[in-house]
Amino acid sequence: MKLSSIVRLYRVRLRARIMQELFAVLGISIGLALLFASQVSSTSLGGSVEQLSNGLVGHMRFQLTARDTHGFDERLLSRVESIPGVKAAAPVLEASANVIGSAGARSVELLGTEPRFARLSGEQVRNFGVAKLAQAKALMLPASIARAIGRSSLQSVEVQIGGRVAPALLVPELPGEVPASLASGPIAIAPLAYAQTLAGMKGRLSSIFVRSSPAHDREVLEGLTRIAAGRLNVRPANFDGTLFNRAAQPIDQSTGLFSAISALVGFLFAFNALLLSVPQRRHLIEDLRLDGYTRRMIVEVLFVDALVLGVVSSVIGLLFGDLLSLALFDANPGYLSFAFPIGAHRIITWSSVALCIAGGMLAACIGVLAPLRGAIFSTRETFFRTPGRRRGNGNYWLLAGAALCMAATLLILALSPAAAITGVLSLTAALLLLLPVLIDTVALGFARLQGRIAGASPYLAVIELRARVNRARSLAVAATGAIAVFGSVAIETSHGDLLEGLNRVASGLNRTSDLWVSPSGLANSLATTPFDGSSASAKIAKLPGVKAVRLYRGSFLDIGDRRAWVIAPPRDVEAPLPPDQLVEGSLTAAVSRFHAGGWVIISRAVASDRHLRVGDSFLLPSPRPTVLRVAALSTNFGWPPGAIVLNAEDYARAWGSADPSALEVDLRPGVSPVLAARELRSALGPRSPLRVQTALAREQEFRATARQGLSRLTQISILVLIAAVLAMAAMMGAMIWQRRPRLADMKVDGFDRGVLWRTLLWESGLLLGSGCSLGAAFGLLGQTLLSRALVTVTGFPVAFSPGLLIAVGSFTLVSLTAIVIIAIPGGFATRVRPALSLRD
Amino acid sequence: MLELRELVKHYPMVYGEPVRAVDSVSLSVARGELLAIYGPSGSGKTTLLMLIAALLRPDAGEVLVDGRNVSELSARHAARYRMRELGFVRQAVNLMPGGDALDNAALKLMGGDMGAREARGRIRPLLGRLGLQERSAHRPEQLSMGERQRVMLARALSTEPKLVLADEPTGNLDTQRGGEVLCLLQEICRERGAAVVLVTHDPHAASYADRVQALRDGRLVEYEPSCALAPVNGR
Repeated sequence: MKLSSIVRLYRVRLRARIMQELFAVLGISIGLALLFASQVSSTSLGGSVEQLSNGLVGHMRFQLTARDTHGFDERLLSRVESIPGVKAAAPVLEASANVIGSAGARSVELLGTEPRFARLSGEQVRNFGVAKLAQAKALMLPASIARAIGRSSLQSVEVQIGGRVAPALLVPELPGEVPASLASGPIAIAPLAYAQTLAGMKGRLSSIFVRSSPAHDREVLEGLTRIAAGRLNVRPANFDGTLFNRAAQPIDQSTGLFSAISALVGFLFAFNALLLSVPQRRHLIEDLRLDGYTRRMIVEVLFVDALVLGVVSSVIGLLFGDLLSLALFDANPGYLSFAFPIGAHRIITWSSVALCIAGGMLAACIGVLAPLRGAIFSTRETFFRTPGRRRGNGNYWLLAGAALCMAATLLILALSPAAAITGVLSLTAALLLLLPVLIDTVALGFARLQGRIAGASPYLAVIELRARVNRARSLAVAATGAIAVFGSVAIETSHGDLLEGLNRVASGLNRTSDLWVSPSGLANSLATTPFDGSSASAKIAKLPGVKAVRLYRGSFLDIGDRRAWVIAPPRDVEAPLPPDQLVEGSLTAAVSRFHAGGWVIISRAVASDRHLRVGDSFLLPSPRPTVLRVAALSTNFGWPPGAIVLNAEDYARAWGSADPSALEVDLRPGVSPVLAARELRSALGPRSPLRVQTALAREQEFRATARQGLSRLTQISILVLIAAVLAMAAMMGAMIWQRRPRLADMKVDGFDRGVLWRTLLWESGLLLGSGCSLGAAFGLLGQTLLSRALVTVTGFPVAFSPGLLIAVGSFTLVSLTAIVIIAIPGGFATRVRPALSLRD
Repeated sequence: MLELRELVKHYPMVYGEPVRAVDSVSLSVARGELLAIYGPSGSGKTTLLMLIAALLRPDAGEVLVDGRNVSELSARHAARYRMRELGFVRQAVNLMPGGDALDNAALKLMGGDMGAREARGRIRPLLGRLGLQERSAHRPEQLSMGERQRVMLARALSTEPKLVLADEPTGNLDTQRGGEVLCLLQEICRERGAAVVLVTHDPHAASYADRVQALRDGRLVEYEPSCALAPVNGR
């Protein structure tokens, strides 16, 4: 068959089903847009960290790194340089800093280095011109950050590191020479000696980057491991990228899970839209087969349908997804930025584009070809044979199929919660199988109730609902409603569970004292920067309302490829961890072991990496490696790579430092935390680098940060709901418009506009009511699946609570909005002229 | 041209005896001849046409077209046979709603090796012959039922088939319009020397045929015009 003929046939048929086709395009595009936008934000986060890391380390091969912020002695540099095979070694001091200008403050990673590092490393450092600065006491900041804090070149800024504040001079930065991807990276660069002064770390380094001679990697690695002596980390120079990818994995996984469900919902919208035109296309196939078209020719004709649908949907999906990623899915790392320098550059990879186009084409092919597979591939015999009587009642088969799918879902839930997407698929299949039975039952029940309802409209609505000729369309509409509500309920409720879980962590971790005092700066929101707390502690303890001041210690610690959050509350704290965060082990035993010392509570993910069980001993890779035992297993406390809880005294021993990272202040009974906080601030002085927060304020900050980190999930759940309402309305509108000839018939029979309009509303109400209520009920099952998957796959704290309110809300919102919107095309459709029915 | 030999087709039923849709039917149709097969609904007329069109396989017997048994053709060869040698005019007028009369009539030509433009050009004279010259750009909903049926006729005749099967082609038309369609069918097929098998339950339509045979409960019986007008089975 010639291409021009296939194209002509396509164009001709398109005219008659443009609405359904547009609707199908809308469905697939929505799914693709969500997938693409979440892909872009994931690749942007991971990619920008990788770009920054590569920009810093260039062709360096290895790094010798300290395990804490105190660093190591710079004299190790000469030992490293003397390892055979080392071509070059560059010392670096890294510290989390807060740069403060007239317009505000920004958290940056301060990188102190030398000209030799600038020569050997990547573009980031070379272009910042460290070589020119070697002797200067100045700091170089990306222009965007300097602008944000209201400073420009040759003006001074305040640099706060830990509990220290020092002024520094900004020097010109050359944006023209810096790659766009790196120009906005939160990195401040200073000469090594000056950085050491700013950080109060004279003679200390945090890493040494090493370049080895060709074929000497092994020798160099062995030499570095010898020098590290188990107290420093030896790893690839660009290891930050690996650490970040691991850290971002749970968020990517949860976003991926939600996006996949959204894409599935979008695809099912499209599929249902295409179902509306199945009878028409089946007639076409029948005609083509009668006229001698071969199976291959028919597939060619239909494949062009799928091709056009797939291409148009993919293009629109990509454009819409790009807009989404720009406007909504800002690659917001939330609290991950506390532990990693993350650039703000948007990165779109070819693999993301290819994935979306492939997804769009696949969805279009399945949508177009699957409903017609019987018509295309049946033998002549079965296709044209006069049908015999059906055996038994088809509804029993549907019920049996639904029961089978439900059983499969329950098995997945019990045995393999990580396979949530498969579970959602089997749940959707069960829903779709159950729907025809429900609609038949509702129609039957309503028919019996009719006697009590006045007017012809309900009577006509039931007749229309029970007409076999309308069955495919009715089912498609009800299925769209069911899937829309199912998707939005499942996503919204499990998202709610996740937020509630994080809220409980925020509450449990912060309410151990009345006030918190810690170095300021957004990057220190988790209190991970140590400082010399002795003078502040003494000042605070003297205040009249203060009952006690206790030392809290915490930091990040790299364990394998996980940058874990170390939480070390004071030993005597009553509840060292929120009770609902424990996933294995007894809470009483865990708390008493915490108080006794020598025990840690670790996230399940960290434990499973190291094959640890409750009671096992292991060597914690802290600056002073220490053997500890596992008291219990916990969630990740909202920190994606995992967390470790131990008492502050064990921490001091394992880190070899008594510096706290926060002061926990208990107030005397009756003292208002807000007023006490004000007193503390004035006692510490206006220029103090420490900030004072009430437990409630700190909890709110935690919650806000958690929400920010999960903003993509919130946006997805809102978009699914909007898409559901629009899809429903569009679908019903299209269906009502197709019904005009039938409405004209009824007008000829004497029914007036009002009766017809009310009939349409009754019919829509019954269909949507059935579909949406079933969708809401199944949505609650979907919530169980997704929430369990989130706990199992991501390790996030998830607090399961039945989402009945959300289910009822989504049901009401989708069905009512759709009915209100349907009332408009319904009104127009009932204006049809009776003459339409009489035309031959 | 067409010869049916002891053709049998039974439909198995879940409950009860199988339905004998076509039972030992033998007949032949010569080139240029119009044979009408008259029978009431359910007598097996459409099944018989399906067997001739190689859309169904007989349980026994042969369908010979120019001496070749088409019921043994593979799916692909059967499709080629329908495309090149057969024209099928059916009762249900399923025109593509988005296409005009030209598109709908040229559908079969487009399925061959002809491009869309060429196919539309080729079908024009035939549409003119069928009285649709002025209506060729009209869509199905703008055509009357008789015009739609003529578009279907044009599609069936577009490939100049040597055998035309017509399944109740006037079922939806009044006597006058039905007569017009049948006259055209008769005229064109006679000119082209094509054999026509027309199945109908309308004695008036059967009267246009060169020869009429009746089908009752799947078996060919002698056609008696006086009985044809009487109710079937005495009802």
